[in-house]
Amino acid sequence: MATIASEPRRPNIASANVQLPAVTTYEQVDDEIIATLRPTKAWFAALFTAVICLMIGISAWMYQINQGLGVAGYNPPVMCGVYIVSFVFWVGIGHAGTLISAILYLFRAGFRTTIYRAAEAMTVFAVMTAGLFPILHLGRPWKFFWLIPYPNWRLLWPQFKSPLVWDVFAISTYLTISTTFLFVGLIPDIAVLRDREKNPTRRALLAFLSFGWRNSEREWRHFARAYLFLAAVSTPLVLSVHSVVSFDFAMALTPGWHTTIFPPYFVAGAIFSGIGMVFTIIIPIRKWFHLEHYVTLNHLDAAAKLCLTTSLIVGCAYMVEFFIAWYGGVQAEQDFFWNRVFGQWWWAAWIMLTCNMILPLSLFSQKLRRNPAWLWMLSITINIGMWFERFVIVVPSLSHEYEPWQWTTYAPTWVDYSILLGSFGWFFMWFLLFVKQLPIIAISEVKEIVPPRLKRLHGHTPETADDFEPEIPGTH
Amino acid sequence: MRGVLGHFRELDGAVDAITELKQKKLGDVTVFTPTPRHEIDHAVEAPPSPVRMFMLVGGLSGCVFGYWMAIWASNAWPLVVGGKAISSWIPYTIFGFEVFVLIGALSTVAGLFINARIPRLTLTVGYDPRFSHGDFGIWVECSPKQFASAEALLRKHGAVEVRGER
Repeated sequence: MATIASEPRRPNIASANVQLPAVTTYEQVDDEIIATLRPTKAWFAALFTAVICLMIGISAWMYQINQGLGVAGYNPPVMCGVYIVSFVFWVGIGHAGTLISAILYLFRAGFRTTIYRAAEAMTVFAVMTAGLFPILHLGRPWKFFWLIPYPNWRLLWPQFKSPLVWDVFAISTYLTISTTFLFVGLIPDIAVLRDREKNPTRRALLAFLSFGWRNSEREWRHFARAYLFLAAVSTPLVLSVHSVVSFDFAMALTPGWHTTIFPPYFVAGAIFSGIGMVFTIIIPIRKWFHLEHYVTLNHLDAAAKLCLTTSLIVGCAYMVEFFIAWYGGVQAEQDFFWNRVFGQWWWAAWIMLTCNMILPLSLFSQKLRRNPAWLWMLSITINIGMWFERFVIVVPSLSHEYEPWQWTTYAPTWVDYSILLGSFGWFFMWFLLFVKQLPIIAISEVKEIVPPRLKRLHGHTPETADDFEPEIPGTH
Repeated sequence: MRGVLGHFRELDGAVDAITELKQKKLGDVTVFTPTPRHEIDHAVEAPPSPVRMFMLVGGLSGCVFGYWMAIWASNAWPLVVGGKAISSWIPYTIFGFEVFVLIGALSTVAGLFINARIPRLTLTVGYDPRFSHGDFGIWVECSPKQFASAEALLRKHGAVEVRGER
């Protein structure tokens, strides 16, 4: 651990160094990561808080079902409010997981190894959270299944040219594939837990969940190939999901929505917000679970560079939006953007610009990229900024359409805020349950970057040992 | 199923043993390793995984099904929207793509399960929990007459424990 405290600032290629100098044996990996599964008082307190937040949200939803959607602050024509804002926000949060686990896997970015499991779990729970909001937004939520194309005696089918049906397919596919990707990656680690477990009931459950995995070469060979192909199909899926979500807006003629920049703009924003949430989650886990020697400063540094890159892309998209509004010469579009930044919604727009464009510029400093406290605080501002980005996209457009008589305002009510709080409770409840049941760091993948025991270290036959130097990603 | 199980602490010892076992053809070799290692892949000389074919067939079937579902349902419930054709292939590409990914990925997992022969009800002979912890194992399935030579070979390459199992 002393090596961590004194870890020096490295040249500006720190992300290339993905070795874990304080992790030396496979057994150490098992022991230290399995040790994080022991519940603590702080964990119970956090879980209790999350459940209380969830209860508040459920109570508010029950009240809304009883009273009708009018209690949610909708003010025609602003008929999309906090629920749709939060839907887009949570889908965005769900993007970093598959980006880190799939895209960075294909690019052999070694720094993903110790953070991808947390990001994948975050993705699954964030998409589960996002999927609730369109249902909350329905006046009759019990009819949500009408969007699914199922055979029925009336021979009615959804309108396949509607972006809302595209959403149903994109989100449900993404949830299914993210969950599959997470679970497939977990199988070897569950086998490790099974083999170390003493409690017979829990051992039987883990044996069931591990499908009898034996760590044979045959299993690993097919596993590696399947994982590669899952990553390959998940990569375009990540890019498509938020593109499809952006079509919900871009297909409309509303000022501020009807623009072809939306798909890449949404995808970049989603990845940016997702990485922000990864920092929010992984930095406390790193500290509380004493995993500083797994999630090293080099890993945080590399992830911060990714965060900075996506921030610059998002900032560029903001500027392009303003430019096109001016250059396009459409009066309604120009008025709308003026109203967004200097008029009615200036406060929301400037929160967005400050949190998403200005503050992340601090990550040009290597010192700040390697400062976990700063990264965590910045991640909170990114989460806030990205929620407000979606607010700025959804609400001001509807409140300032073409005809002046349509112009209005919008203010969320306590029901909106309670359900938003409940969504965080729902998300963190699942995440907290996950971190104490299954390894938050991928045991088998970490072992891949730990040098194996060789004969030369034990003095048997040193002449053959040179052939077995471990391949360390990022060193070639 | 009879054979000899060798238990190795070091990777290179296990790899040397696999190489010699393959050369001498003492029996079917199954290797257990806590994490995938290229050195073991090369020593075992296993054929490429056919999982890719599951991905290809599943993905293409899903893509066709996605297009077909949207076109068939649109024709079964023909509503003209915005003056567009009833069967508009451009928006239906979203369904083709999403179902391609969905069925392709699930087929890949099916391919993994079929080829890796999981789910497995028992861990069968020749497995030891230490192989998921940090050690390497070599299970040589052979006749009792070959037990002695297999054991000698495994010990020569540094096996810390060798036992016969059935």
